[in-house]
Amino acid sequence: MTDIIITQHLTKSYKNFKAVDDITLHIRKGSIYGFLGPNGAGKSTTMKMLLGLTAPTKGNFMIDNMTFPADRVNILKKIGSFIESPSFYPNLTGRENLDIIRRILELPASSVDEALDLVGLSEFGNRLAKKYSLGMKQRLGLASALIGEPPILILDEPTNGLDPSGIHEIRNLIKSLPKRYDCTILISSHMLSEIELIADDIGILNHGKLLYEGSLEDLRNSARKAGFEADNLEEMFLTMIDKDNALRKQRAKL
Amino acid sequence: MKSFKVELKKCKRSGVLELLPMIGILGALYALANFIIRKNTLLNLPLPPMVVLLTQIYGMIMVLNMFGIIVATTLTYNIEFRGNAIKKIYMLPFKTSSVFSSKFLILFVLLALCIVLQNSALAIIGNIYLPTGTFELSTLLKYTGYIFITSLPVLSFMLLISSRCENIWYSLGIGVAGFFSGMAMALSDTSIFLMNPFVLMTKPAVASNLNMDMNVIIIALIETVIFYVIGWAISKNRHYE
Repeated sequence: MTDIIITQHLTKSYKNFKAVDDITLHIRKGSIYGFLGPNGAGKSTTMKMLLGLTAPTKGNFMIDNMTFPADRVNILKKIGSFIESPSFYPNLTGRENLDIIRRILELPASSVDEALDLVGLSEFGNRLAKKYSLGMKQRLGLASALIGEPPILILDEPTNGLDPSGIHEIRNLIKSLPKRYDCTILISSHMLSEIELIADDIGILNHGKLLYEGSLEDLRNSARKAGFEADNLEEMFLTMIDKDNALRKQRAKL
Repeated sequence: MKSFKVELKKCKRSGVLELLPMIGILGALYALANFIIRKNTLLNLPLPPMVVLLTQIYGMIMVLNMFGIIVATTLTYNIEFRGNAIKKIYMLPFKTSSVFSSKFLILFVLLALCIVLQNSALAIIGNIYLPTGTFELSTLLKYTGYIFITSLPVLSFMLLISSRCENIWYSLGIGVAGFFSGMAMALSDTSIFLMNPFVLMTKPAVASNLNMDMNVIIIALIETVIFYVIGWAISKNRHYE
């Protein structure tokens, strides 16, 4: 399987703070790549760089053999994205919001209803977006990423704000997408328990550094070798983070 | 054309499309009411009737137009910032600079419509109330063009400001400060004050004759282009963060 997204030494610094530190990622075409790390690890910043929302301080990346900023429009044609919080026009209904995106992407009119249907928002499509609950806004954000079935999806904590049944529903939807229309998904979360249910590969990030990259199966094997129970990856993830934090503290003291 | 249509769709229920035409109607009604009520006083002023028609009412209309432009430009970018919608636009295969240029084009047309409505009222007044043979349509048309051109720098400046200020109160505040600076500097003959776009717009309102100042026209056109190009270039080259 070829890599559809590759980053090389990707770094983002803000004054004295490195949000993303020399990250090299390989995301296989047709896979679900779980991007994992505690809050503030640099997941969203990395995703923002991939979407051109913020410029890398160092390093570069390729998406489907194209690079930013030269191929910006062609790259973004292939990506459906949802970053941090949902973005919408509060003066428009959910359907009108998606219609704006549909027009920009030059999709058929039917794609709006398909996207609303996919995220279970059909019956609220004519309600003003400003009157949506947090969960409904989140679904609208997801619909705006899924509209037109883009070959690459970049989803930043897409289940935030959803109730347990909503989380389950959206998780199943995300899991089904690569089979449904052959897409690649980069999804972030701070919960390993959530990622391990859907991802094929994972990258673990802490304080901007990539601590682990590989298949979920390899992580399970490593967990077994390290003496953790293979079905309790959460513990291994937390240990990994704690060790890295301890190392950082030691280095800071020196 | 695609981005123009998209921008029009975004304006739904925001008040942007209605505001400037409403200001146009309000200005027209003000002009009609003012002339009906003060007809005798106005026509007894020691000025030619066409000068009375075009200079004695424009002060209030200019204030309405200026606030209309300030609020319309602020609203047009507020819809982008309120729900973070502009972030989504940055993530789509869409030239972000076309957001700025399409918004400018929409407001340009709406301002033209606003001024046409107001000056149509002046044409009606001129035909009905001015002494026979004193109404000159060509003078009215030239003056309409002059007013439109001198209003454009404020439009282009305020759109630039609104595109950079996520907080609606900053852009409104700058607009109000601009209005007062315009009122304070417009009576002065100091040429450097013409750099202030609000002064350019106020100039016809403080004049007591119909002479169109070519310097004002040229500076207004240059400033309009400069503010537009700056706004367009910033939208094109800046990242979301």
